[in-house]
Amino acid sequence: MLMFTRTDLSDLFRSLAERMAAEQDTLAELDGEIGDADHGVAMAQGFAAATRALIEAEADGQTLADGLTLAATTLLNAVGATTGPLYASALLRAAQVFGAQQGVPFARLADLIPAMAGGIVDRGRGKPGDKTMVDAWLPAAHAVQDGQRRGLDTPAILRAAALAAAEGAEATRAMMAAQGRAARLGPRSIGHLDPGAASAAALLDSLARWAETAAGRRG
Amino acid sequence: MAQNPAQRTPPPLIPLRFGEDALLWAAWLYYVDGLTQNDIAAQMGISRASVNAYLADARTRNIVSIEIDPDRYRALSIAQALRDHFGLQDCLVIPSGAGDRPLIDRLGAAGSQALSRLVQSGDTIAVTWGRSVLALAQQLDRGGLQDLRVVQATGGTTAKIPWTPEACATRLAEALGARCIPISAPAIVSAPEMRGLLLSEAVVAEQMQVLSQANRIVLGISSLRPESTIHTSGFFDDVAMHSHYHAAVGSIAGRLISARGEPVDGPLEGRTIGIELSQLKTIPCRIGVAGGMDKVQAILAALRGGYVNVMVTDADTARAILASEGYDEVPGSRREGERPPLPERTGVKKFLNRPQDAVNETVAGALLAHEGVLAAVDGAPRALRAVRGPRPGKVGLVIGGGAGHEPGFFGYVGEGLADAVAIGNVFAAPPPDPILAATLAADGGAGVLHIFGNFSGDLLNFEMAAEMAAARGVPVRAVVTTDDIASAPADNRAARRGVAGNVFVFKVAGAACDRMMPLDACADIARRASQRCYSMGIALEPGALLDSRRPSFQLGPGDMEIGVGVHGERGIARARLASADAAADLILDRILDEMQPAEGDRVALLVNSLGSTPQMELYILNRRVRQRLRARGIEVHRTLIGHYYTSLDMAGVSITALHLDDELVSLLDHPCRSPAWTQP
Repeated sequence: MLMFTRTDLSDLFRSLAERMAAEQDTLAELDGEIGDADHGVAMAQGFAAATRALIEAEADGQTLADGLTLAATTLLNAVGATTGPLYASALLRAAQVFGAQQGVPFARLADLIPAMAGGIVDRGRGKPGDKTMVDAWLPAAHAVQDGQRRGLDTPAILRAAALAAAEGAEATRAMMAAQGRAARLGPRSIGHLDPGAASAAALLDSLARWAETAAGRRG
Repeated sequence: MAQNPAQRTPPPLIPLRFGEDALLWAAWLYYVDGLTQNDIAAQMGISRASVNAYLADARTRNIVSIEIDPDRYRALSIAQALRDHFGLQDCLVIPSGAGDRPLIDRLGAAGSQALSRLVQSGDTIAVTWGRSVLALAQQLDRGGLQDLRVVQATGGTTAKIPWTPEACATRLAEALGARCIPISAPAIVSAPEMRGLLLSEAVVAEQMQVLSQANRIVLGISSLRPESTIHTSGFFDDVAMHSHYHAAVGSIAGRLISARGEPVDGPLEGRTIGIELSQLKTIPCRIGVAGGMDKVQAILAALRGGYVNVMVTDADTARAILASEGYDEVPGSRREGERPPLPERTGVKKFLNRPQDAVNETVAGALLAHEGVLAAVDGAPRALRAVRGPRPGKVGLVIGGGAGHEPGFFGYVGEGLADAVAIGNVFAAPPPDPILAATLAADGGAGVLHIFGNFSGDLLNFEMAAEMAAARGVPVRAVVTTDDIASAPADNRAARRGVAGNVFVFKVAGAACDRMMPLDACADIARRASQRCYSMGIALEPGALLDSRRPSFQLGPGDMEIGVGVHGERGIARARLASADAAADLILDRILDEMQPAEGDRVALLVNSLGSTPQMELYILNRRVRQRLRARGIEVHRTLIGHYYTSLDMAGVSITALHLDDELVSLLDHPCRSPAWTQP
């Protein structure tokens, strides 16, 4: 059976980190419009640090839970800010879901998304419509549940989640920020894309691409 | 090119002050003296047709410019843009925030005006429910039509709100002298079978038949935000909304729609009695009445879905809708004839090595500069402690936040001030680890007080660190500063940012800790200081980020940003650059409005450079601030002026006033010694 292993986790994070590096300037620009312009750097640095830590620890015989916990704490201490605690909580929740195993069936990869969404919502106490990363993560989580109900294969589910996240991020334009720095802008936040939702959509797109390649390579 | 008739046939009697310019003369007589074109023709000795041509020419040559009241001009041009973009039949946009009347009332009045113009004898008008719809019905007065019918678009509710479907329909029918056809069933019934039964009842079937004949509909549009009235409407009471309707952003006639305007299906559909969205779209004239920033997403969805083809809203809402659709420059938002912008500030020069090393190198330099005062915390490169600060039995004071605000935050670490500090990346909250290290370094066995500005990142990281400290047996209290009065209204103080007022709060709390006051008392006095601090900033130029060396936001050459945040967050408004006195007044008006000081009250004053504004300008501003305070009879107990809490190299100023009482005065006067504030 096709598995998702600890080595895959490093490889996945490498893809995520590359994507965040590529998006850094775009995210900084979005954040400059309604925030403090640090989101691009935070995401790029955070995922780069987590990836380095995962690769360095690869020989230690870690479980998936160990790896995700390491990624969480590394990311948290590399960036702080709002991004750090939110993604750290997301990854810690994912660690609980995958548990102390060396690998899980590849089909369970999609479970990452509802788990991470749950961690983000709980830590940030954000609600849908507040113009935050929640507006990308929650639609993605719903898309996963919907895809699983309909019996789609994993790459298709992840693609659906990525599309839902992209659409959710796009919808933040019409929202008035209720959380985070942009909330102080009130009405002036409308018309701008939320940078946290935009980076979430990019992460989920990168996850879907990674899964398509990985499944293709092995299937 | 049009020839200038004046050059062809110069009239002999032209008054000297108009030179040879007959166009100017004609324009003067017409627009200033108020003469008719016939009178002008007689006076100038030319034909009326020539006068008419002169006047037209005067406008195209900009001798005369016609100005429409800017608010109305803006509303008109936005309405046109909205109509064109969404292919509406018509659109009415009222100016936002004009006068004291509530928006709902004004929308209702505008809606009634639109309906009066459209309604014709023989119409069947369906009507949904809501505050705007009821306001429309209440302000409508259109008699003289015949054979009108008003029909409820949905069943009814028993909710205790004034704007039920029944009330809206009844009221509208009265105003039009129309026959009112209710729907004698609930809007939402308990089960699909019940809906089937009710719809086959002769009375209800007949009413639904009338509804299907509607040729106009008046629609409210509801948002699904938590504060929306829909949640008290009785429509969705027994439904776990989020389980099936997470994709919904708005509601029309009790039906839910997605951000793209598509119907969102769920178990409610089979239990709803009322017009269906597909049927609604076949009604030729669909008048939507809605406004308010919380409704932008819902209205946008309704427009995208094509449920509305006559939109009545206000200018702010309309502009936000257009902005959400990617309109960069909404018509009317730039004044005509404005100068084109100068090239933007780019490529700011900085003394840097590798940008990613900047914060660590700053910390290293600070440790060397202030070696008698600051010391490193072992194993935590981003935590510093006071050499003479923490001691047994004393409450430890820990402060912190992102870098880029120097001398904030480590400048306030030292004897009589904070005991330790945690330093994040530029403008980013520190992670929990350095905060925990600082907390343990500051702990003297009497607990630790955390003070930081109100930003989501700081809240999250300090909260996590406090949990970790508590697990190690160190009790922590947190005080979150909220002194930036421009960042949220007074009734929502908890949402405000914490900015330069931090300096006073750190000082007061540091003194309380140094006087060996217990933890809760230290927290209380810090909180009181924060609540009595009022700050506001104005930016003239954005600061430049280290990585890109580019400005973090754009500010036009003739503009200033009022209420700017310390990370370059946009403020409450952008305004034309003003003089020093006018700028000081802008800030002080708001501070005094909120502080409401009595004559003889004392304040401490901080006139703070946001980075690149020099001391000279701060003194000029301070002069005006003191004039204003003297006029109010307010005494200034202490003034800090200089770089106390910056935002990289932003040009601008923030002014903070701490409204003093006797205890705050005493704590403010307590001795301290730190890199940024030393007093005997």
